[in-house]
Amino acid sequence: MAAAGLAGLAGLFAVYKPAGVAWSRVREAVETRLLRELNAAPGRPPRQRVRFLPAPAPGGGGALELVAARVPVLADHPLVLGPRFRKLKIGAGHRLDVKASGVFVLGIGHGNKLLTDLYNCHLTKVYTVGGLFGKATDDFSDTGNLVEKTTFDHITREKLERILAVIQGTNQKALLMYSNIDMKTQEAYELAVKGLIRPMGKSPPIITAVRCIQFALPEFQLEIHCLHETQQYLRKLVHEIGLELKSSAVCTQVRRIRDGVFTVDDALPRTQWNLQSIQEAIRNCQLKVETELEKTLGHGENSPLHQLGGDMAEHARQERP
Amino acid sequence: RRMLCRAAGPPSTRQLREAEEAAPVFQYAGKAAKRSDRVFVWGFSFSGALGIPSFVKPDASWKKPRRIQTTPYRLETQEKISSAACGYGFTLLASNTRDITKVWGMGLNKDSQLGFQRSRRDQTKGYEYVLEPSPIPLPLEKPQQTRVLQVSCGRAHSLVLTDNEGVFTMGNNSYGQCGRKVVEDEIYSESHLIHQLKEFDSRVVQVVCGQDHSLFRTKKGTVYACGWGADGQTGLGHYNITSVPTKLHGDIAGVNIIQVSSYGDCCLAVSDEGDVFGWGNSEYLQLASVTETTQVNVPRHLPFKIGKVKEAACGGTGNMVLTEEGNVFVWGYGILGKGPNLIETAVPEMIPPSLFGWSDFSPDIRVAHVRCGLSQFAALTNKGELFVWGKNLRGCLGTGRMEDQYFPWRVTVPGEVVDVACGVDHMVSMVRSFT
Repeated sequence: MAAAGLAGLAGLFAVYKPAGVAWSRVREAVETRLLRELNAAPGRPPRQRVRFLPAPAPGGGGALELVAARVPVLADHPLVLGPRFRKLKIGAGHRLDVKASGVFVLGIGHGNKLLTDLYNCHLTKVYTVGGLFGKATDDFSDTGNLVEKTTFDHITREKLERILAVIQGTNQKALLMYSNIDMKTQEAYELAVKGLIRPMGKSPPIITAVRCIQFALPEFQLEIHCLHETQQYLRKLVHEIGLELKSSAVCTQVRRIRDGVFTVDDALPRTQWNLQSIQEAIRNCQLKVETELEKTLGHGENSPLHQLGGDMAEHARQERP
Repeated sequence: RRMLCRAAGPPSTRQLREAEEAAPVFQYAGKAAKRSDRVFVWGFSFSGALGIPSFVKPDASWKKPRRIQTTPYRLETQEKISSAACGYGFTLLASNTRDITKVWGMGLNKDSQLGFQRSRRDQTKGYEYVLEPSPIPLPLEKPQQTRVLQVSCGRAHSLVLTDNEGVFTMGNNSYGQCGRKVVEDEIYSESHLIHQLKEFDSRVVQVVCGQDHSLFRTKKGTVYACGWGADGQTGLGHYNITSVPTKLHGDIAGVNIIQVSSYGDCCLAVSDEGDVFGWGNSEYLQLASVTETTQVNVPRHLPFKIGKVKEAACGGTGNMVLTEEGNVFVWGYGILGKGPNLIETAVPEMIPPSLFGWSDFSPDIRVAHVRCGLSQFAALTNKGELFVWGKNLRGCLGTGRMEDQYFPWRVTVPGEVVDVACGVDHMVSMVRSFT
């Protein structure tokens, strides 16, 4: 029974990290909950053994005779062994800092190997960033120490969109430059036309697309698609947008709504951090992850999908229509 | 004894809030803040064409002369520049003002293409190289009423178009490109002569300089030409020199031409119905779609099936047109912008709009203007971004590198690019700031 629970726990799933907690605490909370549920399920019944136990003779008093009895082995007693599962291998994907919230990918068991492959795919992440004009703080968020207050009534949506277009333009250039392709080849031209050029190695943070979804002075909200970024970089970006508009801005909210193939709809809220929902989430996301990895890294003999386990792959193949 | 004072401790939430509300508010820009207009230059600087003297003659001993400026550099100007033109080693900037000084020039002045620039060391001689934007004295009748509309520069001559005093020409006239009679053994350097042209059938609205010829487009839609004609670039039906602006016929007779373009020895004209006409040099397949000859001396209609054409631009060996839908087509010889494999084509090929920033995320990006230098191309989008490609001669592309660019590449300019002028080895752009 417990073995069945453990078999379903190998793969990737996404969790919604709330703001105000560190990512390590979220990972530990999920691990503790899973361990509790796995240990609560009844385990294997203890082994039985035939032992000859002394029992009083049916005849006269005082005489003992050995009677065969089937007794459970003490070595299999739960109080002797302790809880069956003490640790689970849960790995974390792209991290989120304390003030940010959103989709947080975790891998369990053999799925941890897929985490490195997903990292090597270099897929874009989408954030919803909220900002506030009129203030500048030292750590670029609204909870930092105040540095300066400025006016902002001269800012219009048109000016903001102009700045966003320029940011997108310079980052497009950075995208081409860090992709390590020789610009003089026909291959580079064809990739540039299709828009498939992407840095497939280490690079500074690059923003592939920005747009303004809400604008109500002094607040505004941006949707940012980016690569290799940190949440503090996005807060700094909001601060620099404020400077470009001859005012100042702080970041009020950073929320990741998409991490590669995992979206907010796939992310489990805190009420669903239990064994059954996680197993279901792993099953639902498996197909998406496999197709993405095949597309980007190619299907080879050494592909981790083969190593994931014959029965899991079988199960996935049966689920495909 | 109770202490009447207390240690400070970390500020409480209430103290922080009150400190924040009491903080002074700074204003950097008011509600009516206007966007400023700036000029950015880049390319080869030793000819003085960039207009920054410290690149050629450093003003501090530790500074080194900068031969090539590979990225856009701000040029400070006194007035707002409305029109700029790059010639072969020199630049003209013109402003729409009613002040006495309307045109400034910098760069090579060996043929007086920037007028007479009196030397400060010797009052009888003139400067051969002008390193800073210096005013050009135009012999206007009403200098405080006339406005300069447009300037254009060729290899060694320049044209200035005014709104009601005709066209002023200066510089080399050995082929009659200034529109006056060719004088044998004339010395063009340190010459005070600026010729005025007024005899056209209607007001001139655009002037264009080719390498050694000049084209004038009038309000009625006719085109006049003068200058060297050995490649047929004057379009007058012969291969001789013309020293008086003469009307062109051929396929453009009776057609209302709305734009003319030329920089080398080939010329293109666009009519109001979106047709393209070409004449001049065709050694690089520029006109090979209609004829096998390498020189065409009468304007010929180019039957391209690419849609209604809005704007055309001619380079030295390649040509480019922009259609009403916002697509860019290139043909000719050289680095055309479709990768290293496309070197020459006689039929226009379209450059995919995704290279100009068009995508599903931003579907309303269109190319608004196209410009050509001698071996480079430039395109301006409606969002104010500048894309360049072609041969990177002495850093003229402005990309920051010295290599040639085989497909459109963004130039990082701190502002919205309104117009750009391309020369042989340098470029000038007029930019509006963001806020």
